[in-house]
Amino acid sequence: MEIEEKNKRPFLNVIIWIIPVLLFCVFSLMILFTPAFQNSAYKVKSLFTGFQASEETANDGIEKLAIRSQRNINIIESKLNNLKPVKPYIVVNTTENRFSLRNANGDTVRTGGCSTGKNEVLIAGKKRILFKTPKGMFTVLNKQENRPWIKPDWAFIEDGLPIPSARSASRIDYNTLGDYALSIGDGYMLHGTLYQRFLGLPVTHGCVRLGDKDLDVIYHTLSKGSKVFIY
Amino acid sequence: MKNKLTFWIITSVLSIIVIYALVSTVLMPVLTKNPLPKAILRTTDDKEKSSKIDNKEIKDEANTDSNVSSNSKEDKMKYFELRKKEVLLHSRLELANEDSMYLVLDLTNNTAFLEMKGVMLHECKIVESTVSNSIKMYHTEALLNWIAEPFMVKHVEATIPKIEYIEKIAPKDSIEANKISAEPAAAKRGDVFIVMDFDRNLRLVISQSELPDDEGKKIISVMKRKYQEIEVRRSLQSLIKFNREPAMPQINIVVSKSDATIFYKSLPVRPKMVLQM
Repeated sequence: MEIEEKNKRPFLNVIIWIIPVLLFCVFSLMILFTPAFQNSAYKVKSLFTGFQASEETANDGIEKLAIRSQRNINIIESKLNNLKPVKPYIVVNTTENRFSLRNANGDTVRTGGCSTGKNEVLIAGKKRILFKTPKGMFTVLNKQENRPWIKPDWAFIEDGLPIPSARSASRIDYNTLGDYALSIGDGYMLHGTLYQRFLGLPVTHGCVRLGDKDLDVIYHTLSKGSKVFIY
Repeated sequence: MKNKLTFWIITSVLSIIVIYALVSTVLMPVLTKNPLPKAILRTTDDKEKSSKIDNKEIKDEANTDSNVSSNSKEDKMKYFELRKKEVLLHSRLELANEDSMYLVLDLTNNTAFLEMKGVMLHECKIVESTVSNSIKMYHTEALLNWIAEPFMVKHVEATIPKIEYIEKIAPKDSIEANKISAEPAAAKRGDVFIVMDFDRNLRLVISQSELPDDEGKKIISVMKRKYQEIEVRRSLQSLIKFNREPAMPQINIVVSKSDATIFYKSLPVRPKMVLQM
């Protein structure tokens, strides 16, 4: 009998420690898997198959509420439509270096490659000049054919040339902007380019360069006041 | 005898902890429909005050709302769909009146838009989308309250930089300038994994549909692990503080690499989003 009891004790001792350890493991696993349980994601469609209404809503006279809701929807939709451009507009994608010309209804009439800002910082002594295309909504302020480019200081700094006086003839360049230029403010323009092979690449100092044929269509589609969206 | 006592003490303490953990983290959220942080849902009456159009007629309608009528299940569903459309359109209008770009996530049609002033700038197809299991628990009206206002980003983290600038030192003369000028090339695009934490506890995870390269895999897995650790820490903290936090639903979307890059680079630093689901 005594021998049997002695044999049972180590077994009991092991059990005594196994149970708390097991409980501890369960506890730890629960902590680890709770976020996974609550925030794990499943297919969207399986979730939103049916809608329920609360008792309060059910008592409110749903038909009339629905009519009112529909009326509000119409009001908001008309307000949203009023915000949209009334003239043809252009949308420029600076990440892909592509443009899309749209008519007043928002339908795309032409797409193609373009060149936008090269996202470069030119460091000249204490000066830091940033070449990037601004993002947002702009307006065509004016349109010009064969517009000469008045070179700013950075054009000379970038070429390692001395900066001439403000009225120097060396600042005027007749070829760079191509056949047409559409100004969108702050010196930024949509214009042509001598470097057609770079279309689709970010190479400009902030302006949007377009191919000759695209520029011709854009120039004749957009008018003063047309919107330019750059993203 | 001593061993027996120790056993019972330890077992009882651990059992209490396990029961507490089970109740507070699993049972309670399910039973009480773990609440979503509510947005202030504008009532139609509020909108009437701000809207001059049709003001009189709408008020007349509102006065007759107290009339009780028998409503079928279909009517209720139809009304909820209308109400949902109304709040989402209102959110879009609110954002369209601002000068920033915003994201419209339409999970019902699996599309995402980049919009500005009501104009859709970029549209992309969502290859795959999943939403948190926790959303399942919410009553429709709670969900409606939750998605009623635009979501605003609190914190964004991504594997790609938002803006990448190359620094170039100006050449001393034209000879040096000619040496520097080289043929431009398209920049190499890194693999994309974006985590956006919005207000009202929403987390949006954007992944690319293309398989990442080895370097990308490493970066993405490091970021995923980091967020898993945060979740475990959050869970632990709520256990210690004896305070159940509102659920943190997560929406995962998979889009093409180029679309993910476009969205991340185009949206402002603190973007806003309209969620349609």
